[in-house]
Amino acid sequence: MNKIPQNSIIQNIQKYIPIILLFISVLNEFDFNNLGLIYFSFNFSYILIFYYSLKKSESLGYVYIFIAGLFNDVVVGTPIGISSLMYLILCGVAAYLRNITLSPSLIKDSIFFLITILIINSLLFMYLNFVFDYELNYFNQIINITYTFLLYFLFANLFDFLEKNTLGSRRAG
Amino acid sequence: MEKSRDDFIIALRSAFLKKGTQQRFSLLSLIFFSIIFLILGSFNFKAIDYVKITIKEIIYRSSFIVSGPENFLKNNYLIVNSHLKLYEENKKNVVELNSLRRKNLSQKITILENIKYKKLIDDYFIADNQVVAKVLIDKQSPFLRSIIINKGSKNNIKLGMVVLDEGYLVGKVVEVNFFTSRVLLISDINSKIPVSLQPGDIQAIMSGKDKQEGVLQYVRDKNLSEINEEIQVLTSGAGGLFKSGIPIGTIAIDDEILANNEENKIVNFHKDFSQLKYLKIVSFTKEKISLDKSSKNDFEVMGNVIKNTNEQQETLRILLEQKKIADEIRVKIQSENNFLRNERIRSKKESNFLNNETVRLKNEILNIKKKYQKNKIQDEEIEFLKTNLFYGHMCRKNLINNLYKVGTPEYRKCVLKKGLKK
Repeated sequence: MNKIPQNSIIQNIQKYIPIILLFISVLNEFDFNNLGLIYFSFNFSYILIFYYSLKKSESLGYVYIFIAGLFNDVVVGTPIGISSLMYLILCGVAAYLRNITLSPSLIKDSIFFLITILIINSLLFMYLNFVFDYELNYFNQIINITYTFLLYFLFANLFDFLEKNTLGSRRAG
Repeated sequence: MEKSRDDFIIALRSAFLKKGTQQRFSLLSLIFFSIIFLILGSFNFKAIDYVKITIKEIIYRSSFIVSGPENFLKNNYLIVNSHLKLYEENKKNVVELNSLRRKNLSQKITILENIKYKKLIDDYFIADNQVVAKVLIDKQSPFLRSIIINKGSKNNIKLGMVVLDEGYLVGKVVEVNFFTSRVLLISDINSKIPVSLQPGDIQAIMSGKDKQEGVLQYVRDKNLSEINEEIQVLTSGAGGLFKSGIPIGTIAIDDEILANNEENKIVNFHKDFSQLKYLKIVSFTKEKISLDKSSKNDFEVMGNVIKNTNEQQETLRILLEQKKIADEIRVKIQSENNFLRNERIRSKKESNFLNNETVRLKNEILNIKKKYQKNKIQDEEIEFLKTNLFYGHMCRKNLINNLYKVGTPEYRKCVLKKGLKK
């Protein structure tokens, strides 16, 4: 009787960690995007999508990102398709940055990330406010963008560490 | 210049059009899909609605399952926490129960009277459809504060139904699927509710704020600071969406905001919207009044009930008055009793003191007397000795006379008489 190769199962799980993280972050009730604190919130999905689209685009397929966006819209209650659009724009910018970058640097990535989230949040804001007549809090949005940008450094290093220590073995195999 | 533009276009094309490894669709096609979803979502085609509802049903259930471990931990934490606070809460509840029991009867009368008057002005709403639902997902979003419940169109849930938790207003149904619905909470910034402030019957519009608070936006007529007690916020029933008199929250008048900012009054909701579990979804309709015999009987029965309850209240009031008087007398007697007891203790102490003083004085007198006696004897002795010096020879026995022997009482007598014979 053949044994199930345990290593391959673990490797498969490791391979899908970014996708699992993305889906948990959009489906779970606990959301970093709205922690209930006045001066602290950040968009974990943006960080995850930008990092993996930039560094390891094969880990996080565009279709998964598109579906995660749909899930996020349904769970949060925003019009279906808006989060997908924002996530995909983020992916596009990350892909463009990857193409034009010869020597990667965290500072450059983060500045690009900041500009991108400013643009996509503005688009989101305009769309929700003007088209769907949602009343939004400007101050909370600014807080969210600021912390998303600042925490990109932390999460980028954390994901780097994870890639090197856990997912690195996958590549070696 | 030309080269850099080419590079830009190549990089952009590569980013948006090229399918990467393990990518089945290009980014641009997915972006188009998203836009198509958005455009179709804004139309109300039946087919699109069904697709949307099906997607939502699947996602709500998935989200409920994914949130399972987190909810399990959260519930356990709450259970442990409530166990730890059990004793304190019990003490508080006993006090509260006693005070509520006292208020209950008069409240019952007010409700019945209210119903009677509302029926008279044809403004009495009754709940015609009530459904109890469980909260499936409570994901707070920065754009929309809403929850998902596990009842949908299959359970006769309709758009605009009122959602209550223990009689307090929570929100209204804004989206209905087959088995699930979305409830827009009153804490949402987009929720605008016509409210009435009591006392004073001030009309206003309440909007949600960031947290568990609402804010009054258009306060009409009176200045709230004139009211010197806690203000109750209720639905006013204006606009016909909610029935009037559903409690929402309170405004604390000692709030600094009240004094400083006249336009934005903070309403503290009765319910904590992060702890919602089971909700009641209700729709209200006006009760039809027909002037037939049965309705007249109903009025009569209600009138009798009000009369009985009023009598009960009167009896209760008299009993309470009697109790109050009895209490006052008891307190007075008790205070008098205490005073007398204190007086008795004080006089007892005083008499003890006087007794002790008498004994002391007696002893002193006795001592003085003894001393006086002693002094007298000494004086007599000194007198005798003095007289003896002068007249001793006239009484002393010697060879030539036959007088008295020294030391005898006769000698002493003789000396004291200065040698004179009888």
